[in-house]
Amino acid sequence: MTVSGLLADENRINVIQGDFHVSDGEQIVLSTVLGSCIAICLYDPAIRTGGMNHFLLAAPGGNEAPDPLKQRLYGAFAMEQLINEMLKRGANRSTMRAHIYGGSNINRAMAHIGTTNANFAREFLREDGIPISHEDTGGSAARRLDLKPATGQIRCKHIPTEDVPRIALPPLRPVERAPAGDVELF
Amino acid sequence: MGPITILTVDDSPSMRALLKHALVGQGHVVHDAEDGLIALDWLNRHIPDLVITDINMPKMDGFGLIEALRKQDRYRDMPILVLSTESSDEKKARARDAGATGWIVKPFDPDKLAAAVRRVTH
Repeated sequence: MTVSGLLADENRINVIQGDFHVSDGEQIVLSTVLGSCIAICLYDPAIRTGGMNHFLLAAPGGNEAPDPLKQRLYGAFAMEQLINEMLKRGANRSTMRAHIYGGSNINRAMAHIGTTNANFAREFLREDGIPISHEDTGGSAARRLDLKPATGQIRCKHIPTEDVPRIALPPLRPVERAPAGDVELF
Repeated sequence: MGPITILTVDDSPSMRALLKHALVGQGHVVHDAEDGLIALDWLNRHIPDLVITDINMPKMDGFGLIEALRKQDRYRDMPILVLSTESSDEKKARARDAGATGWIVKPFDPDKLAAAVRRVTH
């Protein structure tokens, strides 16, 4: 699957780390740049709708030692947001197809992160019963990813890590969300 | 606090597994269901101390489950916590009106979850 031709920037939505987006817009392209992060692309041909998330499997915890449960919770949260939005628009777990991208081991000092992230994504989709129709993970290059959500067409281009800063992306903005684990008793 | 029996309701197998892992680790007995209808069927045969439910689920969502439980005398006062990726005031108000006891935003923090469970069951 390839995205044919370039689309105007106004139709391109950049999915930054911690974010997700779902659309059925014919002229929309969802894009991101990945290193050790993972992006899952979901597409359901029955409703011609697709979506992409982008996550680094990690729980915010300051200088605390990584807690495996909390790490997994944050990855699961990123997945659930995307899946929930697809389901709300009429998608079905049995008809959705997933692609997994990213999980590069770019930094040798943190060589395990990309592999761990890819393993998590694969396992989560298996447990959730969503078939994986394509995977492009690992290696040491960054990836530029484009998804046309209305057709499910995807282009994944491997790029040398030194070229990543030259790729034009909008300034990062904080993703608005309620604090994790916030409890409100009525 | 002694162990209590908790029913968790979530359509995501991964989320059910994580929730069970956290709650069993806190010493509780955990049963789970993948949607509101399956939960109601289980609740017709068992009475837990607490229900923790997701909102967005097929067949019967969390709002429908809470409303159905509050119509039954034996579940009129049982604590029901919502655990959802959503956090809008509108959704929270709807849950409160349906009879929910509280709202927890995913991803849950195991320690905050434990504290919330203690507060609503004592």
